[in-house]
Amino acid sequence: MAAQAAATTFNGNLKKALAGLRRINLEGLRWRVFDAKGQVLGRLASQISTVVQGKDKPTYAPNRDDGDMCIVINAKDVCVTGRKLTDKVYYWHTGYIGHLKERTLKDQMAKDPTEVIRKAVLRMLPRNKLRDDRDRKLRIFADSEHPFGDRPLEPYVMPPRNVREMRPRARRALIRAQKKAEEQEQGGSQRKGRKREAKTEIAA
Amino acid sequence: MNKKEILKLAKGFRGRAKNCIRIARERVEKALQYSYRDRRNKKRDMRSLWIQRINAGTRQHGVNYGNFMHGLMKENIQLNRKVLSEISMHEPYSFKTLVDISRSAFPGNKNVVLPTRKVNVSSINV
Repeated sequence: MAAQAAATTFNGNLKKALAGLRRINLEGLRWRVFDAKGQVLGRLASQISTVVQGKDKPTYAPNRDDGDMCIVINAKDVCVTGRKLTDKVYYWHTGYIGHLKERTLKDQMAKDPTEVIRKAVLRMLPRNKLRDDRDRKLRIFADSEHPFGDRPLEPYVMPPRNVREMRPRARRALIRAQKKAEEQEQGGSQRKGRKREAKTEIAA
Repeated sequence: MNKKEILKLAKGFRGRAKNCIRIARERVEKALQYSYRDRRNKKRDMRSLWIQRINAGTRQHGVNYGNFMHGLMKENIQLNRKVLSEISMHEPYSFKTLVDISRSAFPGNKNVVLPTRKVNVSSINV
């Protein structure tokens, strides 16, 4: 009860967090916690989807849903590479003709950062009748607190990732950009010493 | 006669296909075709399910399916996938020894096992 009293600091989403817990039978499942801080969006979502499907257990059966409960925290700190923050667009059609709506990743993160991960994971699950039940097993929280503190939680350790080496062209572009930034800083500090100081004062 | 046999085979079908002979005849023919095809597909599906289970079991120990099989082939262990999947489900300790044999026969895969997780025998008796 003390845990619940402490957990009601975010009672806005407490209802949503506990929604439908009664529908999930078979509480022999584990509760795994994924920390999304600093993780790349798609790679994290693919690991979550394997766990939610139950494909990491040797007792996997495709006709019944045996995945673990997944709790994702720090959803607002998830990263994307490239220009996806501004260029990745979520489209949906409302059903009325001509009403194709869109929203960029940046706006979606501002509006509801949990939806980003939820969409990513949902679109990686197989489209069958178990998809909704698996969605119910996913609980995503934007910050690092969740009301499930009294359950036996297990943190999920992400498998080590072998980052691909940059292609020579991209690498040269990166070096060029770095050199340019260094030269700008040095050149600026040499020539406009005072003006620079004034600028940083205003900025700070 | 033939009608009776067809309606007997059409038990459990949806709508008029279980009652009216004209519709039932078509559906039953299709059902028999599907069952012919699926008797062959079942063998493929079961093998794929065994492979998925073995994959899950070996990844718990840090080895993936391909390397595991390669190691077993090198050691000339001729257990088939059906038996291996049963072992991975019901005999976790024996499976671990198999994984170790495979790992020693093949350049060692680094162990990605979580430190706090043990293979709970209770969670395997599902």
